[in-house]
Amino acid sequence: MDALNLLKACFLLVPACLLGCLLFSRWRWRVRLPAALALGAVLAFGVAGWLPGIMDYLVSFSIMAIIYSILSLGLNAQWGYNGHLNFGVAGFFAVGAFTMALFVTSPPSGLMAAYAHQWFGLDAPYLVGMAAAGIMAGIVAYLIAQPILHLRADFLAIATLGIAEIIRLVFQNERWLANGPQPMSGIPQPLSCVFDQAGCGWLPEALQSALSVMQPRDYSYLYLAIVTLALAVTYAVLEAMVRSPWGRALRAVRDEEDSAAMSGKHVKSLRVQSFVLGAVVIGVAGALYAPYMVTIDYSHFKPLFATFLVWVMLMLGGSGNNKGAILGAFVIWAVWSGTGFVTDYLQVALQGLAPDVASRMSFLRWAFVGLLLALIVLYRPQGILPEKKRVSRFIDGEPER
Amino acid sequence: MIDSAQPAADKNMLTGAADAGGAEAVDARDSGGARSSRFVGGVLLLVLAGMWVAGWLAGTSAEDMLSLTAWGVMLGGIIALGGIGLTLCYGVLKFPNFAHGEFLTLGAYVTYGMVLVLPQSNPIWRFSFGWELVVGLLLAAAVTAIVAIVIDRLLYRPLRRHQSPLVLLAMASLGMEFLLRGVVYLIWGSDFHFYYSGRSNPALYLPFGLRIQADQFFVFALALILVALLYWMLTRTRIGKAMRATADNPDLAQVRGINTEQVIAWTWSIGAGLAAIGGVMYGLASQMRPDMGFVLLLPLFAAVIMGGIGSAWGALVGSIIIGVAMQLTSAFLNPAYGPAVAFVLMVLVLLMRPQGLFAQR
Amino acid sequence: MPLLQVDAVTAGYGDTEILRAVSLRVEADEVVSIIGPNGAGKSTLMKTIFGLLHPRQGSIAFDGHDITHEAPHRIVRLGMCYVPQVANVFTTLTVEENLEMGAFPMGKVDLSDNKERVYAMFPKLRQRRRQLAGKMSGGERQMVAMGSALMMNPRLLLLDEPTAALSPKLVDEIFERIARINESGVGILMVEQNARQSLGMAHRGYVLANGENRHEGTGRDLLDDPNVGRLYLGG
Repeated sequence: MDALNLLKACFLLVPACLLGCLLFSRWRWRVRLPAALALGAVLAFGVAGWLPGIMDYLVSFSIMAIIYSILSLGLNAQWGYNGHLNFGVAGFFAVGAFTMALFVTSPPSGLMAAYAHQWFGLDAPYLVGMAAAGIMAGIVAYLIAQPILHLRADFLAIATLGIAEIIRLVFQNERWLANGPQPMSGIPQPLSCVFDQAGCGWLPEALQSALSVMQPRDYSYLYLAIVTLALAVTYAVLEAMVRSPWGRALRAVRDEEDSAAMSGKHVKSLRVQSFVLGAVVIGVAGALYAPYMVTIDYSHFKPLFATFLVWVMLMLGGSGNNKGAILGAFVIWAVWSGTGFVTDYLQVALQGLAPDVASRMSFLRWAFVGLLLALIVLYRPQGILPEKKRVSRFIDGEPER
Repeated sequence: MIDSAQPAADKNMLTGAADAGGAEAVDARDSGGARSSRFVGGVLLLVLAGMWVAGWLAGTSAEDMLSLTAWGVMLGGIIALGGIGLTLCYGVLKFPNFAHGEFLTLGAYVTYGMVLVLPQSNPIWRFSFGWELVVGLLLAAAVTAIVAIVIDRLLYRPLRRHQSPLVLLAMASLGMEFLLRGVVYLIWGSDFHFYYSGRSNPALYLPFGLRIQADQFFVFALALILVALLYWMLTRTRIGKAMRATADNPDLAQVRGINTEQVIAWTWSIGAGLAAIGGVMYGLASQMRPDMGFVLLLPLFAAVIMGGIGSAWGALVGSIIIGVAMQLTSAFLNPAYGPAVAFVLMVLVLLMRPQGLFAQR
Repeated sequence: MPLLQVDAVTAGYGDTEILRAVSLRVEADEVVSIIGPNGAGKSTLMKTIFGLLHPRQGSIAFDGHDITHEAPHRIVRLGMCYVPQVANVFTTLTVEENLEMGAFPMGKVDLSDNKERVYAMFPKLRQRRRQLAGKMSGGERQMVAMGSALMMNPRLLLLDEPTAALSPKLVDEIFERIARINESGVGILMVEQNARQSLGMAHRGYVLANGENRHEGTGRDLLDDPNVGRLYLGG
């Protein structure tokens, strides 16, 4: 294994070990940590050693899958925990992504100012931008929750769909806000200096020269570690909340609203809280998405990619189950990417026979995913990992976290 | 054992003001806490008047505002054609069919295919279309109806049999939305099309400086006729009453010997057929785009929910209000925000009277 | 041969068993009343007879036909109609339309005679026939429900707690109507909470408890039976 692959493997250690922690969640930490480290090492160095060719692809695949995982976790907090039929995931996603972009970029100056408009640019640190993205999404969720959250399920679905569309329209048409229909570009990536020629000021010399083998385009390895950490934190927080008294109250409201109300749970504010929580998580996913893409515009937040796919992921993985949300995200993103290969191949294959049809092959993916959702609803609506009936961590005999 | 058989007079004490005096009626809430239809209607008219004023203040002449209003009514006709099919299906089947927009798209495109294949005839009267469009339209309505029934048999009926919650049916319909849209893209591509490119579409000159195309009149008149027909069917025919009964209480309908599955099949055919006609008219009035159904979906739902799910006249009135609002706001807002206006009006009505303007419950 | 014969029927929802080997019979022109405590399975029995629920064991025969696993809309055509306890009218349809729906399986025929007969039985409905059924009082709604079930001239009428939630005066009125319906040649099988009054007007009665037959006899006998009286008739 050459030096480059070795270094890449080191970066892969972070997500691989975290994956181990997730898989071995049933074990006590004393066993879990070393097991996860071992698994991580095996995975990371194994891939680097035997499958170096697909490593780059795996990394970019995983980054998107993880962003979608966070989206699914957010939707799970709304739908799985509290039964909110939120068909407007794309809206919160967009709010998070654009808030992040506005916070971490600097206002366009000089020649650029004539072409690129944005409301403000604070050049803020990455984490501040992420916090702002979550908070902004949460505020938007709170404001819209007041008039619409008490509506019955189907009206809520239509209303959230409408709101997502409005949010997208705003970002599409308001030039001054985020460059109108034109994309916002130049979103800085955190810690990108690690792979630059110049290097980061705060990195010790020895480390800098060791990393000099890696190119700027290998940045995604570092970003994978970042998003995996974000996913781990989100997952841990959400899991803790599920098992807390708050989480139990939430599920009581979802399953048996009348009796929950009678036992004193404040139904309305609980429902709003779960809705806002989910929106915050979705906004954070947006904050992770923006720097990865470097350039974003309204078309990234259309219903297909940003709402519909997330629903398929959650329904397949298992609504009400956080692990299921992550599983579903990876599986469906794999299906989506896989269909991409298939349609690309078909496009080339049909080029000679029927060039018109060939150019439309990419739409086959939409039809396929639509069919997939219908089949999931028909044959396995509870998903692969159904919701586990948890009472409390004290009763289940689960190891202390 | 509490006697729930209050004499009619007692009941009127709750809503008494509503029937007694005209002035108090506007404010009275019914037993569910919702405002009366008259109150909500009044608020909506006020909103529209406000839009008029806003447009006028933004610099549009009164004559132009009047034109916008007239076009809004015409746009309402187009929305209504899609809306009456949706309100019928929504009322009987009880879940929002997110794929309903695709019935419009499918109808429009199948007709387009027929128009390309059939020999072209001269335009009828001063309309821009000839008999080939009418023939294509009827065929497209039949095709769309068949597609709707097939989807129901394969997807929604098994879910009904399992007593699945309605949210799952809504989600399944979302999947169908993408499936059908993908199919349309596959067969016809992503370009925009016109039924008759290059054909002139002269406007009729009316008093007050209004210019309305003959086509637009046709669409509105067609919408009126179809709404009236639907209303007649629902209130005077046996199958229509059976549809209303199934919408009201499917279990009781079965107990009374009504074959609810057959009623549902009829509902899909009529609803989808009406939607197909709506799609053709929309394609005629503007243009055909593969996402036309999805673009109209929000205004369609807004109109149906405002008017009251299951009410044919409600769908028409709701559509006209939405159409007028969308046109009026284009005087001072970016026209792209049309669906946003429709949405805001829908939420406004939902807050005041969730069952809609013309609901009977 | 009895009009309705229910033999050792066992039925329930999902995994639970509600009825255990229940038997009863109704002769033509009889009024049979089923009483018993809440949760005894009386409503379940009605639903099973009418085909809304499939029995796991046992058989049900109506007028010689085996209807054990028959669907409701076919049972209606054989001459048995059912009035559920709740949600038994179409609230958004008028009284007249409710009646028309009662005769739906007859197809496109002239229903004036059938409607006349129902209006003769329930004159109040004639005045209110264009009113929405949902806006009527509880007693009137019950009349609409029963009238609707009578439209097909059934030979047997199943009534599930026809006097539930009605004032005493209306209870009397409804029982009086039931008696008149029976006099016109319709058999009645009813489940009732008003045990005394229903047994008083019934030819025969059954007491159901815990999903099983407990007592059986003529209405008079059951009323006089001290066991029945103590446990089920409220003393």
